[in-house]
Amino acid sequence: MSGPTIVGDVAEMFREQFEYRELLGQMTRRDLLLRYKQTVMGFGWAVFMPLLNTAVFSVIFVRVAPMDTGMPYPLFAYCGLWTWNFFASSLRFAVTSLSSNTSLVTKVYFPREVFPFSAVLVCLVDFAVGSLVLVALMAYYGVTPTVSMLWLPVVVLVQVAFTAGVALLVAMANLFYRDVKYLFELVLTFWMFATSVVYPTSRVGGTLGSLLALNPMTPIIDGYRAVLLTGASPLTPQFAVAAVLAFVLLFLAWLVFHRTEYTFAESI
Amino acid sequence: MAAAVTLEGVWKKFRLGERHDSLRDLVPAALSRLVTRKRDDELDAAEFWALKDVSFSVAPGESLGIIGPNGAGKSTALKLLTRILRPTRGTCRIHGRVGAIIEVAAGFHPELTGRENVFLQGAIMGMKRADINSRFDEIAAFAGIEKFIDTPIKRYSSGMQARLGFAIAAHMEPDVLLVDEVLSVGDISFQARCMERMERQIRDGVTVVFVSHNLQAVASLCKRSVVLGGGELQYDGPVDGAIDAYLRASQAGSRRPDTDPRFTVEAIEFVTADGQPAHTLAPHTACVFRATVQCHADAPAAAFSFDFERTRDLFYCYGVNTEDLGAERRAFRAGERAVIEFRWVAHFARGHYRVNLNVRDSTSMKFYLFAENIANFTVVETASYGGVVDVAPQCAVTLVRS
Repeated sequence: MSGPTIVGDVAEMFREQFEYRELLGQMTRRDLLLRYKQTVMGFGWAVFMPLLNTAVFSVIFVRVAPMDTGMPYPLFAYCGLWTWNFFASSLRFAVTSLSSNTSLVTKVYFPREVFPFSAVLVCLVDFAVGSLVLVALMAYYGVTPTVSMLWLPVVVLVQVAFTAGVALLVAMANLFYRDVKYLFELVLTFWMFATSVVYPTSRVGGTLGSLLALNPMTPIIDGYRAVLLTGASPLTPQFAVAAVLAFVLLFLAWLVFHRTEYTFAESI
Repeated sequence: MAAAVTLEGVWKKFRLGERHDSLRDLVPAALSRLVTRKRDDELDAAEFWALKDVSFSVAPGESLGIIGPNGAGKSTALKLLTRILRPTRGTCRIHGRVGAIIEVAAGFHPELTGRENVFLQGAIMGMKRADINSRFDEIAAFAGIEKFIDTPIKRYSSGMQARLGFAIAAHMEPDVLLVDEVLSVGDISFQARCMERMERQIRDGVTVVFVSHNLQAVASLCKRSVVLGGGELQYDGPVDGAIDAYLRASQAGSRRPDTDPRFTVEAIEFVTADGQPAHTLAPHTACVFRATVQCHADAPAAAFSFDFERTRDLFYCYGVNTEDLGAERRAFRAGERAVIEFRWVAHFARGHYRVNLNVRDSTSMKFYLFAENIANFTVVETASYGGVVDVAPQCAVTLVRS
């Protein structure tokens, strides 16, 4: 018998994911249905949270400490918060996605990747709903979309890849060590302020500034602003690095996840 | 032809008690793992073997029973086959599409309706949406919940949930079907429908591995069975022998304490009236049971009695002794032998039954011998829902013109 090879594992990963593609759809559907049934506002929450935060930060950075972001601040902030919200809430769902489905993980066989992946897909739907507000804001501030908007799918794809990679890791980590959920909440808070969400991190400068430049989420969020708001190409060197990083991370995280998943039923 | 299911030298190790699942324990655990490189086949104090070197295989189209006491490793074996667990050593292989009727309601979400849950659970079991769609009405009808299909299943009784779960699982079309103790759900008629469904799948050539404590169900679905005990394979062969081995193992030490071993059984002959071996019988078959007993000490008045018990639950079906049947009371001397012939007719409903032979003193009622399970047999019949007695029914349905 030969040991596991990367090629064999990758083939198995994709084959299983293909075989169970309908399950991924059903799980995503389940979570969306549940949200719609259990909460009064349903998808409204997807819009409400970034909108509320935009209002708060607009008061701070327009009235209290005015800051130049090269565009109307509410537009800058909503675009950042909307995309950050997609990232952060995907991970919040993903981190408990395995540990809260104990009976499924211990009783039925199917690729466990379905849990973190469907968490990302559910939030992608919210993200799409949230785009309506951005469209409204763009109309209000008279921003007309340019041809560079055609880059949007690329930016979304990079963010989805990066989010899915992190989602696999945190879901797995929380299964083995339940503290991860709390620790990760803390990390997310710091991470948001280390990203160009409500202010451009390029204004930080110094050692801290160059440290913040390593954060792959900043070029991704700046990518959205470029293609949607300023009509620029997202293909900066930083974005290219972030894109490569996102796919490498997804690949490695998935491989580790796949090689560990047979121990999940015993570890949960 | 290659086997459909194979377990080869499978060992499975489990950990007792709680795992460290807080980060606080990560560092010491990682350090100790670095220091002591433990091999796979060694146990530390908190570990035990759930399966020890278990091997068996199932041919395509064959149905295999797995029986054994609680904690024998039956469910672990099935979980290894479904790939939920991986063996510590050895290999498990399955050829073909696997369907598992193990935890049929595991994917149900209480807030979703029956309909939504059918699609969700179906997808979890690996069914295609189109397949579920085309069998949806059949599934709802099988579960008997058509009226409640659009109600959230938190309003269902636990029996309804289990029935719906089984109905979904039963409508998969796998090559290999793994079944773990599911017949305990639902009422008698639902259980009968489940059995019928599984019998049909076996007839259609599906390979089945069936784990159950219901020996009667195992006997009627499977020709062959393995017995697991304490993680080890104790028997692999015809289902009658398996049930026998299991019962003997589980009843060892259950002898009556007041037995005075004055008699021993030397030989048993158990045949039908026309001399065929009586392992499998149709209802109402005339049978003969001959036991040769040896007397070891003087017995002033001995009566021999036969008991019939249903093996599944040791339900006492019938018992009678030679004296009450008109045989003359007599004394036995040490060294004497006697053949006791007992003619009877198997008026039993389908199931597995066993025979006990007792020898007692007719006046004091003291036991001289209490030999449990000296013979056992299976009654095969498919018309009834089960039960104990076959009442030899006949029926006619006549339309009455008004």
